[in-house]
Amino acid sequence: MKLGSFLRFVAPSAALMLLLMALPLAVTFFLSVRNCALKMETVTVVQSSPFGQREVTTQRAVLGPDGRPVTECRFVGLGYFRTVLGLGGIEAGAGSPPPEASGAGSAGGSATARPQRSTEFIGALRFTMLYTLATTPFILLIGFALALAVHHVGRRWQGPYISAALLPFIITPVVGALAIKWLFRDNGLVPHVLSQFGISVFWMAQAWSAQLLIIVYGIWHVVPFAFIVLYAGLQSVPQDSLEAARIDGASAWQRLVYVTVPHLAPLFVFITMIHVMDAYRVFEPVVVLTQGAFTTSVQVLTYYTLLDEQNPYKASAAAVLTTAGIAVLLLPLLVKTWKEHRRGD
Amino acid sequence: MKRPKRAAVALLHAALLAWTLLACLPIVWTAVISLRQYVDAFSVPIRWLAPLTLENYTRLWFEQGFHRNFTNTVIVTVGTVTISLTVGCLAGYALSRYRGSLGFWLLIGALVFRSLPHSTLLPSFYVMFDALGIRNEYLTLIVVLVAINQPFTIWMLRAFFVNIPQELDEAAMVDGCTRFQAFRRVIIPVMWPGVVTTGLFSFLLAYNDFLLSSSLVNADKMTMPAAIANAIAAESEAFLMQGVAGAVSITVPLVILVLIFQKQIVSGLTQGAVKG
Repeated sequence: MKLGSFLRFVAPSAALMLLLMALPLAVTFFLSVRNCALKMETVTVVQSSPFGQREVTTQRAVLGPDGRPVTECRFVGLGYFRTVLGLGGIEAGAGSPPPEASGAGSAGGSATARPQRSTEFIGALRFTMLYTLATTPFILLIGFALALAVHHVGRRWQGPYISAALLPFIITPVVGALAIKWLFRDNGLVPHVLSQFGISVFWMAQAWSAQLLIIVYGIWHVVPFAFIVLYAGLQSVPQDSLEAARIDGASAWQRLVYVTVPHLAPLFVFITMIHVMDAYRVFEPVVVLTQGAFTTSVQVLTYYTLLDEQNPYKASAAAVLTTAGIAVLLLPLLVKTWKEHRRGD
Repeated sequence: MKRPKRAAVALLHAALLAWTLLACLPIVWTAVISLRQYVDAFSVPIRWLAPLTLENYTRLWFEQGFHRNFTNTVIVTVGTVTISLTVGCLAGYALSRYRGSLGFWLLIGALVFRSLPHSTLLPSFYVMFDALGIRNEYLTLIVVLVAINQPFTIWMLRAFFVNIPQELDEAAMVDGCTRFQAFRRVIIPVMWPGVVTTGLFSFLLAYNDFLLSSSLVNADKMTMPAAIANAIAAESEAFLMQGVAGAVSITVPLVILVLIFQKQIVSGLTQGAVKG
């Protein structure tokens, strides 16, 4: 195919990605070092009360010629990065309230509206790591066990088991997280069953149990993916190697460990890589199961800063830090691809 | 290979059934309590059997206007899947036929964008769309979903196009077709399985999206998942039960989808993996 027709064919797709992914990413970088606020002026007003008149100084928004409040944008450097990282920086409401927020009360207002949440980026990263470390082994183990079981159970049964196993994977994440929440809710099914054994936990009321639920959701949601990929891999294990091992006297366990598992090793790596990437973007279960209290993920941090605090500039700072995080994860992969590509030329 | 013993097979069935039960429990229990009044759904002690009622569903669909959210979902998913596949097929086809370096870099760029968490784009979507006055439009949401879908779509479609022999389009072009006619009249007709599989995944992405649907459009244009998110913080009992009914309403089409398209979903999931 010639370059000209190639360009014509990919143009719509490339334009969409440039316009709605590359450009917004650049805009996010730009927004993250800025802040816009209503322009305020200090005025002296005379207050009358039954106790006489007195002069009070107060802040008031400056109105432009069209009668609307004037917004003033300025460069704030890394101020919001420091805030998001919990190093001080610009405090919401202190001095420069975002335009939509109602003055100095915005931080206090949202704090009373919902339970106190940790807003730090570091906290979000720490939870992401905990989540990744806690879920990955279970996903690989359970996924592999299921794949082996379905592989050996006989062709007739494979279809139904695969269909049932797929459900947690393709279900809408919000719905899946809600279903788990309702299961563990006060007076729900699981607390009832546990209470028969004398265990009583308010699952959504403490940090550790809420995090445990997010991890349980993660395992439940991703196991089907590992299962399907490993199951497909099992079909391609060379039968003659297995047969040769059997003739050499290898037990079923030895055949599994020395023939099957090494053959599937690239798939284990593939699943782990995908899962690490996905763990970094975990979103719905955190929103649903904690409502932003106790724990947070990097996506939730940006989401709340934008929609709840109504501060796109601070949200952009969180987004840029998120991008930096994914860059760290991707860089080794990209360097490897680039080297291979150059060798290929 | 000799046949596994019957006892071993029975054990395998037991383990698989246990997992199936566990995997389906949250959804099945949600479906069960969606047919109950609040007092029966969350009661101490738990009730295994309780009077059934459709009240939650009728309230949700007719009084709360959930049918509007359903319509929104239809508009958004149909729009997203159609545009995604049209644009993606063109690009995927070109990427499978072009041998230059540019194609490689486009694919790598798409891979990078694919790994980017969607929330990183959200603040600038907000500011940009507000400045242009196009936030809270169906078309904006659809186009954003298409763009975010694109990296995945072109990777997957390219993998399908690669399997179609080049001789086919060359033969068509010898017979007097232009490149586009060869693509449209000869390649696409044999590509249907790939298009269906990719379309399924595009559909799932648009249908399941919560992050963008809940933030880019206002309540009257929200899709079903964004709309039932109100039930997350619901304190009122009636509201909570409507959320439960909504969750089941969202899941039913997905269950049907799995039953019909199980093979395509499995092939889509394994394709990237097995080919490295």
